[in-house]
Amino acid sequence: MTTAVATPLAERMRAVVGPANVLSSPSDLLVYECDGFTIEKNQPDIVVFPTSTEQIVAIVKACHELGVPFVPRGAGTSLAGGCLPIGGGVMIALTRMKRILEVNYRDRYAIIEPGVVNLWLTNHLKPRGYHFAPDPSSQGACTIGGNVATNSGGPHTLKYGVTVNHVLGVELVLPDGQVVPTGGPVEDMPGYDLTGVIVGSEGTFGVASKVWVRITRNPEAYRTLLGVFETVDDATNTISDIIGAGIIPGALEMLDSLILQAVEAAFHFGFPLDAGAVLIMEVDGLDAGLDQDAERIIEIAKKNHAREVRKANTEAERLLLWKSRKQAFGAVGRLAPSYCTQDGVVPRTKLPAVLKFIQHVGVKYALKIANVFHAGDGNIHPILLFDERDPDQVKRVLSASNEILDECIRLGGSVTGEHGIGVEKIDFMPKLFAPDDLAMMLRLRNAFNPDGRCSPRKMLPTAGACIEQSKAGRHAAM
Amino acid sequence: MSATTCVLDGFGPLDVARPGSVNELGDLIRAATALYPFGGKTQMGLGNAPTRPGVAVDLRGLAEVIDFPARDMTITVEAGMTLERLRGILEPENLRLPIDVPESTRATLGGVLAANVSGARRYGYGTLRDYVIGISALNDEGNVFKAGGRVVKNVAGYDLCKLLVGSLGTLGIITQVTLKLRPLAEQQALICLPSDAAQLEAILTSLSDSRTRPVCIEVLNRSAANCVFGQAALKAPAAPWIVLVGYEGNGDAVSWQVQQLVKEVGAHFGLQARIDFTTHSLCCALTEYASTAACALTFRASLPPSRTAAFCLQADRDAPQSAVRAHGGNGIVHGHWPGDLTKEQAASILTTWRERAAQVRGSVIVQRCAHPWKQSLDVWGPPTNDIRLMREVKAKFDPRSIFNPGRFVDGI
Repeated sequence: MTTAVATPLAERMRAVVGPANVLSSPSDLLVYECDGFTIEKNQPDIVVFPTSTEQIVAIVKACHELGVPFVPRGAGTSLAGGCLPIGGGVMIALTRMKRILEVNYRDRYAIIEPGVVNLWLTNHLKPRGYHFAPDPSSQGACTIGGNVATNSGGPHTLKYGVTVNHVLGVELVLPDGQVVPTGGPVEDMPGYDLTGVIVGSEGTFGVASKVWVRITRNPEAYRTLLGVFETVDDATNTISDIIGAGIIPGALEMLDSLILQAVEAAFHFGFPLDAGAVLIMEVDGLDAGLDQDAERIIEIAKKNHAREVRKANTEAERLLLWKSRKQAFGAVGRLAPSYCTQDGVVPRTKLPAVLKFIQHVGVKYALKIANVFHAGDGNIHPILLFDERDPDQVKRVLSASNEILDECIRLGGSVTGEHGIGVEKIDFMPKLFAPDDLAMMLRLRNAFNPDGRCSPRKMLPTAGACIEQSKAGRHAAM
Repeated sequence: MSATTCVLDGFGPLDVARPGSVNELGDLIRAATALYPFGGKTQMGLGNAPTRPGVAVDLRGLAEVIDFPARDMTITVEAGMTLERLRGILEPENLRLPIDVPESTRATLGGVLAANVSGARRYGYGTLRDYVIGISALNDEGNVFKAGGRVVKNVAGYDLCKLLVGSLGTLGIITQVTLKLRPLAEQQALICLPSDAAQLEAILTSLSDSRTRPVCIEVLNRSAANCVFGQAALKAPAAPWIVLVGYEGNGDAVSWQVQQLVKEVGAHFGLQARIDFTTHSLCCALTEYASTAACALTFRASLPPSRTAAFCLQADRDAPQSAVRAHGGNGIVHGHWPGDLTKEQAASILTTWRERAAQVRGSVIVQRCAHPWKQSLDVWGPPTNDIRLMREVKAKFDPRSIFNPGRFVDGI
């Protein structure tokens, strides 16, 4: 039995969205104390579920009047703490705004509410032969509003790009309650590309209440190949050579031996358990020309000492292969009680160097580290296995993660390819960017969110820190 | 010896500064009241004419290659480099920046980015925003700031690259960019479909549904076709409208698509498709079209793709003798108006078109026109609903309003 809390804030919120769309009892709020990044936790004072743009406006206006911070949230699958309600306040959960408002196949766009789950849209478009191109591994759960916030990627970004390449416009509720539509279904509207900076702003500019997305025609056919290699070096050389040959595969994913064991135990695909690395190599597009590409890929893999190259001969085989890849993180549960997935990027040619470094870090901190990642983009996802009940292991995982990310920077890369900065990686921002870079980013934030009331203390290390602390949102709300 | 003064878009003379380093440029900015950056001046006609005295800054002195890791398919270069030189560096490595830029021997990367230049193949490859992965620029205090990085996938920090691309130099001066690259196409083909007015929209719809995947769908009226084919030293087919459909890819994919399209349009429209074996010259002519013709005014309309055909037909009717060309898959129409059009006629046509475009959330802008016309002709049209936010961004980035003051939308 839960008890609704009666505070001025709670009363205001109930008046706006109705009692059925508010959660305020401590046990209900527990779910919302963190997202996929579980190291830091904090409960919001209240969770509200608006069902319209007008309700979002009323919510942020009330927050403005009461001096309370707010944070938008989709499905909470973020891995960087983007939805962590720092300073408590109001969590605006957008999961009840889940309508697909319009699909226009001729003009190739869809208008959706932010709570639409990524895969729902693709499933909705399937009968007409279209899809929404960004396909993060969490696509069965994550919302498109969340994709917009984090500029999500997925395995197919190498060829098709990330979320920002597929978002045409956003209706944004600013922290002062103004509703601003940016962009829209027509390309090249005169003015600044505000949509381009809203995507990836991690919810720090306002609340997206509507999104115009590009819809993409499905490839007519696929050729999906599994290359088995003795060493990671051979696999990465294969990747460079494929792209050097002028072929842009739909996906190039690498799995190392540790992850193969977990995935094989879960899905029984028939992965070789003694391989140094396997590559999932998929070319897609028109049927004509795919065999030519596939043959060249096989040739390149063999030249780089592939033990064997298998073809997925049926659609069922292909789907099982992709299921194994996309649910690899889940399968890791078989290896250890807890795991931490990192998200670094290096120039593609530096993959062998960074993977050797990761191996070395694993030895140094006595941690098992599995690797499954978007090799074509140089986007690594080392998975550090541990037991969160052991504080020493937690400490070692954090140190190891930091060393890996520092190495990514040293190799000319970045500390996040698709998960975002959130709170997790905020300390890396001064390592990646100079004070002048961060100052310009802060200027941009101030144009949208001058009081820092929306998603406080995310992304930028010092941004508006004193302003936000003086707000003491939690007390104001009580 | 270079000139010490110049006239920009009819305004001047302005003193010209030629910084040879980023530090020199920084000093210029700190001392400036108004700065008008330029490269090859190929897009100088875009925007409101300058009105505030200041300094014109020639950025062609900053044109070095900073880093070219070809196997990573990225390049970092200074923004004063011409597109032609960039092409010369990329092609030996089988790489390209797949953006069609006119006058590439003059056009610099910085200018092309500021004006967000694109061409026919944007249908298949997108626009500059899809290729700029890192950027460095100087801010209003003359200090360097950067965003993005040198890797193809990166979500650290706000993506200021997007903001600067297409900002017409009003937020800072771009000094360096990192670009994501694509391999050169193994094969290309262009198919020419002659059409009459009545069939145009049906052809575009069928191309949208075609089993083939074109990289460009270009629509040309008679005058534009004469201009483009003439430049390629070819004779345009005798038809009121021409649709050019382009394919790129490996040999098997291109030849299958050519045959398939001929089948599809033959079956539906009884058209005699012409497969062109002079693709390269025709592609170049399509790219250069944007800058050709001695005309009174060049406009650009942005519309939903499904409205392209109707708008082209209207443009052809409303301004006789005008050359009309559209990126049919993207809903972007360019036109050159003939020299005998008066300013009053132009203003009246623009008003009508803007009203129509607004009904479908589109826009019509004047890309270039005679300088005196700009005093009374609204080149950008009515601002969009996010103009307040744009003004706020401008105020935060350029509080002294020194970067290209007044030239962008709504006088930003």
